[in-house]
Amino acid sequence: MRINPVLAIVGAVALCLVTVHQSAKGQTAHVLSPNEKQIAETFEQRAKAYTKMREQLEAQMPKLSKEAKPEEIETHKKQFQERVRAARTGAKPGDVFTPEAATYIRAIIKDEFKGKDKIELRDTVLRESENKEVPLRVNYPYPESQELLEMPATLLMRLPQLPKQLRYRFVRSNLLLVDRENGLIVDYMTNALP
Amino acid sequence: MKRITASLILTILVTLSLVNAQTAQTGTNGKSATNSPVTLKLPNKQDSVRFVVIGDTGTGTHQQLELAQVMLRYHQVFPFEFVLMMGDNMYGGEKAVDYKQKFENIYRPLLDQKVKFYAALGNHDDSNQRFYEYFNMEGQEYYHFKKGNVSFYSLNSNYMDKKQVDWLNEKLATDTTTWKIAYFHHPPYSSGGAHGSDTKLREIVEPIFVKHGVSVVFAGHEHFYERIKPQKGIYYFISGSGGKLRQGDVKEGSPLTEKAYDRDMSFMLIEINDKQMHFQVISRKGETVDGGVISNPRKTS
Repeated sequence: MRINPVLAIVGAVALCLVTVHQSAKGQTAHVLSPNEKQIAETFEQRAKAYTKMREQLEAQMPKLSKEAKPEEIETHKKQFQERVRAARTGAKPGDVFTPEAATYIRAIIKDEFKGKDKIELRDTVLRESENKEVPLRVNYPYPESQELLEMPATLLMRLPQLPKQLRYRFVRSNLLLVDRENGLIVDYMTNALP
Repeated sequence: MKRITASLILTILVTLSLVNAQTAQTGTNGKSATNSPVTLKLPNKQDSVRFVVIGDTGTGTHQQLELAQVMLRYHQVFPFEFVLMMGDNMYGGEKAVDYKQKFENIYRPLLDQKVKFYAALGNHDDSNQRFYEYFNMEGQEYYHFKKGNVSFYSLNSNYMDKKQVDWLNEKLATDTTTWKIAYFHHPPYSSGGAHGSDTKLREIVEPIFVKHGVSVVFAGHEHFYERIKPQKGIYYFISGSGGKLRQGDVKEGSPLTEKAYDRDMSFMLIEINDKQMHFQVISRKGETVDGGVISNPRKTS
């Protein structure tokens, strides 16, 4: 089957315009290929599996009030950490960030941060950040003394969506998955920065 | 869709002589927090929405305490009902003792007088702060509340994901309040040398603010005070020196700056009545370092 070159050019230009328009609105510009969709879904399922496990554990604990005392917050976090750590004994890097997912996510980050944006991101994460002391260990807590570096909003619009209990975090050149309540490092992938 | 151009007029009251000035106590030299003059330059009407904006407080240092003491003295003449916290409420640790040393002990006199604190989260804050009784976050990292004719949107700029963006859009779309104010940690516009404008965040949130008639945005992160020249009809303020100061960090000659103060720590007093928002910025020495009034809140475009 022959493709009309004029139609192909018109189609390409239209696609570019849509992409530019969507980018300007801060929305996802990239349409996922079937393979990318599959990788993203698998990653999201693994993240959800962790979340389901930790939800079950948290449900067995006394519920933290919306008007909690500092001591209650501290105790809840500590106990929650202990339970999840015990349940995930043997957890290792790559349990959630599979090699395919890591490659896919690296590509998104690389595409999002080009030129000046890339320089600024590297500068922020590698030089300015106050989280360089975070030990890279799965199933260990992210130290409270270390900054939780802001995740760029435009990047969050493009990365696979996480359950609300999980957060992406840059630490040095790595991308971590951190549980927002118990503070545990659920997984990490290396060489995440463009 | 017809776009209604927002009409906002900012009048800088150089002398601030058009509003009632109240003096509660005059110190001998005005150079320390404990004896500095308290000179209120706000209308101070009983039916107004009166509050304070502070940011980057959580150090537990003597300087944070001194600024809190100035706030307390202003509370005696200007009984603000609540305080908006711009995040970084707890530096360096999140143990129970940190909550006490870096917050409760510092603001105890205000807490005892039933002043409520509404916190936003910064890059040094654990998400679990949202459960803390004195931060009034209802267990949420981002939330909304109303006071009189003012709607407040406390956002988590540290993690502006799709869920939060959708929530903000939906909430604002049905909000018919006269004044819509958003506050969060990272400033979309800033003349700071250390950080500067958060352009990635701005790319996402500013179109939403413009579309839904947000008039005023407060942020922190930068450890100084800055009033940004109106951007797309929106007034952006940075109030991030409630516990830390980055002296001399505001870039000289920045095209963004309407007014800045980076010589000492500061907080903002705000009063909103009907169609006017008055503001007065107070330093740790009790001096007024900026002030003015914003008229006519924006409407949904």
